[in-house]
Amino acid sequence: MLRPLARGAVRSLCSQCRRIAPIHHDNHPRIPLRHLQTSTSPDRVPLRKQLKQDAKALKAQKRQRKESEEASRQEWELTVGVEIHAQLDTAAKLFSRAPTSSTDAPNSNVALFDLAFPGSQPEFQAATLLPALRAAIALHCQIQPVSRFDRKHYFYQDQPAGYQITQYYEPFARHGYVDLFDYDGIAPEDGDRVRVDIKQVQLEQDTAKSQEYPPSTQLLDFNRVSHPLIEVISMPQIHSPATAAACVRKLQSILQACGAVTTGMELGGLRVDVNVSVRRRDEAPGQHAYDGIEGLGQRTEIKNLSSFKAVEDAIVAEKNRQIALLESGGVVEGETRGWTIGSTETRKLRGKEGAVDYRYMPDPDIPPLIIGEDLIAHLEQALPSSPDALVAMLVGPEYGLPIEDAKPLIELDDGARLEYYQDVVDILRPLQADQDDKKVARVAGNWVLHELGGLLTKTDRAWDAAIVPAQALAHIVDQLQRKRITGPTAKQVLAAVFDGDRRPVPQLLEEDNLLLRPLSREEYVALAQAALALNPGMVEQIRTKNQLGKLGWFVGQMMRAGEKGRVEAPKAEEILRELILDEP
Amino acid sequence: MSLRREAERCVANQHSLRLNAFVTPLPRAGQWLDRVKEADRRREQGNPRSFIDGRLISIKDNICTRDLPTTCASEILDKFSSPFNATVVEQLEAAGAVIAGKTNLDEFGMGSHSVHSRFGPVKNVRQNGDGQDVSAGGSSGGSAVAVAADQCYAALGTDTGGSVRLPAAYTGTVGFKPSYGLISRWGVVTYANSLDTVGVLGRKVSTARHVFGLVNQHDARDPTSLSPFSRSRIMSHLQTPRLASRLSSTPLRIGVPVEYNISELTPSVRRAWLLSLAHLQDQGHTIHPVSLPATKHALSAYYVLAPAEASSNLSKYDGVRYGTRADGPDSDSQPEGYLYANTRGSGFGSEVKRRILLGTFSLSADAIDNYFIQAQRVRRLVQQDFNAVFIAKHPLAAADAQDTGRRAQQADVDVLVCPTAPSAPPRLSDFTRPAAESSPLDAYVNDVFTVPASLAGLPAISVPVTVDGSSQDPDVAGIQVVGQYGDDDLVMSVGELLEGRRLE
Repeated sequence: MLRPLARGAVRSLCSQCRRIAPIHHDNHPRIPLRHLQTSTSPDRVPLRKQLKQDAKALKAQKRQRKESEEASRQEWELTVGVEIHAQLDTAAKLFSRAPTSSTDAPNSNVALFDLAFPGSQPEFQAATLLPALRAAIALHCQIQPVSRFDRKHYFYQDQPAGYQITQYYEPFARHGYVDLFDYDGIAPEDGDRVRVDIKQVQLEQDTAKSQEYPPSTQLLDFNRVSHPLIEVISMPQIHSPATAAACVRKLQSILQACGAVTTGMELGGLRVDVNVSVRRRDEAPGQHAYDGIEGLGQRTEIKNLSSFKAVEDAIVAEKNRQIALLESGGVVEGETRGWTIGSTETRKLRGKEGAVDYRYMPDPDIPPLIIGEDLIAHLEQALPSSPDALVAMLVGPEYGLPIEDAKPLIELDDGARLEYYQDVVDILRPLQADQDDKKVARVAGNWVLHELGGLLTKTDRAWDAAIVPAQALAHIVDQLQRKRITGPTAKQVLAAVFDGDRRPVPQLLEEDNLLLRPLSREEYVALAQAALALNPGMVEQIRTKNQLGKLGWFVGQMMRAGEKGRVEAPKAEEILRELILDEP
Repeated sequence: MSLRREAERCVANQHSLRLNAFVTPLPRAGQWLDRVKEADRRREQGNPRSFIDGRLISIKDNICTRDLPTTCASEILDKFSSPFNATVVEQLEAAGAVIAGKTNLDEFGMGSHSVHSRFGPVKNVRQNGDGQDVSAGGSSGGSAVAVAADQCYAALGTDTGGSVRLPAAYTGTVGFKPSYGLISRWGVVTYANSLDTVGVLGRKVSTARHVFGLVNQHDARDPTSLSPFSRSRIMSHLQTPRLASRLSSTPLRIGVPVEYNISELTPSVRRAWLLSLAHLQDQGHTIHPVSLPATKHALSAYYVLAPAEASSNLSKYDGVRYGTRADGPDSDSQPEGYLYANTRGSGFGSEVKRRILLGTFSLSADAIDNYFIQAQRVRRLVQQDFNAVFIAKHPLAAADAQDTGRRAQQADVDVLVCPTAPSAPPRLSDFTRPAAESSPLDAYVNDVFTVPASLAGLPAISVPVTVDGSSQDPDVAGIQVVGQYGDDDLVMSVGELLEGRRLE
């Protein structure tokens, strides 16, 4: 007996079905309940001692792990390839005019074709090609003049048509590469640069979002269906877990920098599969070849990794599993495995015998994609700078930033932080034109990253360039560099602006009487003498035992006693030295 | 006769004749009557919207209509109503036509006798010499019977491998399948995208021509719809003197494919074919044997390609977003079980399941090279065969792909004339009596003459020809005219030379 359902309705489904779809799983890691430890052990160890012991043990464990990792690396070669699926930054879906917005009410952005209604047909949205092409160009790919769309079949309720439209036989881009540098966090054994070849980049559809409410409810949101994705497939040329994670991180930053994607891994806009194999270094080459690379061991695939750390941890775990298996005389099976965040081992999802036959078939409704060279040339010319070019610019003579500051500036807030930083420097430079200070860009970097960043962290606010206008920060740094305010005052002013004080900084300094009115030498001497009188013993120690570190205590006393914002620490110390040590 | 009387007679026939031609007939009284009356007024005032203003046109039930259910004769879409009208429905209604109901078919268009329907088999208006019910042909059997039984003025069907032409031949009506890409497929439920073509059924070629003229338009919503640019290229191609003079000032060169003279051809059909050719010759046209060597593989290629596409297209029916869903938990309660195993298992009929399995196999990794890819090669050979015999070049083929090596040996012809089906309609009981169920392969053989034009996307028409037998009642057979891509007009004109002829 069949029960008909009202037309067009999207409903929750009753089943105890587990996900088997090969890609695009939404991870809903279950957080284990934590129980408060109420019982105390009979032989109590002081907390301080306990913490020290724990830290020591952890350190030893890490050292040991590092050593064993190194030992196994000497003996075994790891080979990894990565595949990333990234949501393109487009207004419309791949094959319908429905908007891609992910924040709208569930199931509000769906066209007939997105729901696979009988009689509906695909309508390729040419604009979705632009971010895809930017990505392929940024990855140095050869754009194919003709490419085609294929259907990849598998049954799952997040896949309304029963197939995903992708580019299997003829992808739109091939033969690219990505360069990874030491500052990208590659493994030490990889030296200062590694090049990973990109086999291909293809356009494809995303699936619906599915939420499981065990035991018997599934909710489906089709807003995400047919959101345009690119799949980037690397060659199996990576030989360490750290480098694999660096490769994924680098791919994400390249895709963001060229304007192909907006959301990164942390928001689910980017998902990763990795394939992993090992072979003994001192043995004959392995029997397997992947993507034209021969001599490898049997590989396994780990699906749907959702963070950089997960990529690295899962590869370590899978490598160690394969090595242990081979060392105990076992055989690695070509299978698909999964990874749960916080886990220590990968788990089998399905074996070779359970492999899904996707029955790739050219889509008979969608014409070939023909891409003109004029379009490619235009996009190449309009492409924003690559992250590597940005690093070179920031550490170069123009800005002179240390690499530790250049990297986060580029990576934070999808490039918005860098844009803000450049605004600050652009405003600052004319202000500082009369000054001979080469470090101003570096100081500005410090304030954008650490002082402003610190306030954001403390208040747990998301980045917004409007919180502290670039103009305000530039003026604060300018005043500080001109020594018209002290460092603590600068921080105080920044906090005020951060909290919403919208007066122009010069006006604010004026009205709140914050400009430094330098104390006279007599005033310093008076303050210093008062401070020294508080602790003659310490004065003696400084004099006889040369314990100069104790000067700081007196500086502190002077700052406290003096008028707020007027005592300059270096000057205070200078006077103290003079009085205590008779320095000129 | 007024449009109103004509319409009322058709609707009365829909309700009185027990032919099962309709899944959803028109009610005896309803809003349709007002629309017909309005059309009558327009006609009296001398400004009808079109030739079909106020006329009843039936729609095969795999073409979406917003106001009537669209079931595809399948349990899985038993109560399904589409939220939108197919483009062809919009076009007909804009021309003043009244949708005359939804006609019965083989489930999703898969069948040659309109017996694989959730709503039971369609009955032909004709009977055989022994007074037994015979097949109406399929899969557009309901549309053909509705036309033959005067239950509507004309009907739309779909033709994937012969599904308009075969029922036309079996019911004594005219069935026209235009060149692929001329009529919009938006809203036409897909069976096999690369072959599906909307076709027209009518009692006369002129009717089919009128209806075709209204739906022969570019539609941006159908990515396989021929662009306005290509349409104008074809027009100017047809206006070149050599092609424009055909039939008007120069007699036709008519091709007879020798490979179509198969042993399965029944004597009466062979006689109808020969007499038709003789009739054309009497009118001054010349007859030329031609060879289409890939024909013998065409049927096999079709039965690989169409099920392959079908297996993919029918994956969407899972009862999740629309359609019928099986009761209770819909899986084998295995942890990895599918959410809709039961829904698909009970929702599809046996022929649909057979083709889904066939297609799933021929696309599988181990079989795709030997089946799907091989069949695509055969399809290309079939196209090349046709290009080699027609004088008119394929207007969309690349210039260098035109002159293949074989071309020189062929007699250049304007159209091909051959039977539509190898035999008269078989007995309905052959398919419906469970004990006597004939092999599905027997049913597939009926498509042997119609499939090649489908694989090549060519225009083809089946017209009824009556042959006076010596002793029995006169035999009616369907004769098929096939032309080069874009030669839709010529094909219909040649059909007009033959239609309704009593030949002896």
